[in-house]
Amino acid sequence: MNRENLSKTISDIDDRFVAEAYRYDPEKVRSAPERIVHMKSKRIITFALAAALLLSVGLAAYAISGIHQRRQQELRAELKIEENKAGSYVEYALEEEVKGAVILSAVNNGEEQRVFVNVAPVTEEELRHFPGELSFGWRIEGSDLSGFAAPQLKPERSVSGKEAIYEAVREDAYDAETRTLTLECYLPAKKLNEIAAQQGSGSVQLTLLMSLPEQEPRAFGSVPFTPTEEERRVFDFQHARYYDAALDKEIEILALELTPFSAVWRLHYEGDEAFHQPGADWDAYRDWSILEDKVCIETQIIFSDGSSFSTGGALTTPYENGTVNSYCGWAQAINIQDVQRIVLGDLVLWEKP
Amino acid sequence: MTQLEDKQIIDLFFERSEQAITELDRKYGAAVKKTAANILHDRLDVEECANDTYLGVWNNIPPQRPDPLVSYVCKISRNLALKRYHSNTARKRNSSYDLVLEELEECIPIRTDLEAELERKELSAAINRFLEGLTYEDRFLFVRRYWYADPVSEIAAMTHKSANRVSVRLFRLREQLRKTLLKEGLLV
Repeated sequence: MNRENLSKTISDIDDRFVAEAYRYDPEKVRSAPERIVHMKSKRIITFALAAALLLSVGLAAYAISGIHQRRQQELRAELKIEENKAGSYVEYALEEEVKGAVILSAVNNGEEQRVFVNVAPVTEEELRHFPGELSFGWRIEGSDLSGFAAPQLKPERSVSGKEAIYEAVREDAYDAETRTLTLECYLPAKKLNEIAAQQGSGSVQLTLLMSLPEQEPRAFGSVPFTPTEEERRVFDFQHARYYDAALDKEIEILALELTPFSAVWRLHYEGDEAFHQPGADWDAYRDWSILEDKVCIETQIIFSDGSSFSTGGALTTPYENGTVNSYCGWAQAINIQDVQRIVLGDLVLWEKP
Repeated sequence: MTQLEDKQIIDLFFERSEQAITELDRKYGAAVKKTAANILHDRLDVEECANDTYLGVWNNIPPQRPDPLVSYVCKISRNLALKRYHSNTARKRNSSYDLVLEELEECIPIRTDLEAELERKELSAAINRFLEGLTYEDRFLFVRRYWYADPVSEIAAMTHKSANRVSVRLFRLREQLRKTLLKEGLLV
């Protein structure tokens, strides 16, 4: 098929889907279709491994810069830290910053460290190139670990188009007076811990960078970062079985590991290891893949106020340590200590004693 | 100034009022231009494409009464942009749209014997069935990337995910699509 026909093929995507994608509606993400399932077992053991701590980096505090403090307050509200008691969210002591990068806060997702930083100066003229030519990144000094960083937008934002995104960034993440931009970085937690251990100090040097075409990347500065602790609650479902009548398949749901911002579903089914090897038989795996997603998306986590939450589709589903592990993530904290029930259709996976 | 409902805009077209174009532009002008701009990066091309879109809408309403209006106008804009993009091979290609096509080629490989219109329609129908089976979020990611041709960074901003997460999820979706099409016998 040549590229013109490829374009035409995609052009014929149903109008309903095109209209649906005109605007992003986070509410739709949380509503999952109802399904009929049959329950085989629902014995539950839960235990919580909660480690809530607030670290303060020992920085000499002169005058607290207003923008850093304001961003900390905004992030705390936007990420629903206090209302959902996300104890693993760490805020840092601030100092008046004149040179470049300031760590505001961080939270350990299990798989990732989400780190929020203020960088300056970013001129309005430079920011005008975002999104597109202007990009931001981070690197860990003394290692080959690096990645992209993105301006932190309000979670309820739904923006589309370059101009709208620029305006949103300018409104949510940029302070014109101090030319400060708030960025979010995702650092792989495991690798970070390894580097911190190798370097002996328990912490790493995090450098924030900005890049424009035909210019050398600019470093805002390097700041020490100590990987933070995670807050994790593990729900052991004791090999609960979910039968999907449409697919005529049964999957074992072993456990859910929940942090305020992420989840890992531990799943098992016949032939799962082989399906996650390179060159696996897709014909045989396809239905299982759908079933893996259904568990992540359609299971409802119900809280004491009656509200419910879905972890959403998995980002990756590697086979590790004898189970399929479906990794999910989201933007705003949930209260993992307030879980009352976990249900998948008619199947009650867990209920608060 | 408040925006008119779609039905009111369509009524203006039926009345042959030129205000219809103004209202259409006010409500969906940004979407029309954005759809074209993701394929054509030349500002003049985009403006012309938007004007041609409005002319196309003017010529087709009446008798048509599209519902939803937004996908109707965006579709016209996309088709006009693609026509320009593919017809002008001498012009330097837009690398961002090329990237979208390259990603699609991973799951819909280039084959010369599949070019018949009938087979293309079958493929489109299969892709629609595939989309029907996806969750809202996955469908949103797929349609924004491959229909609207949005950059991953913009989709990440829309959905409050990191660009890396969006890329990973899109990769998984392309893999699912490729294997689905293989299973349906549409690819070998």
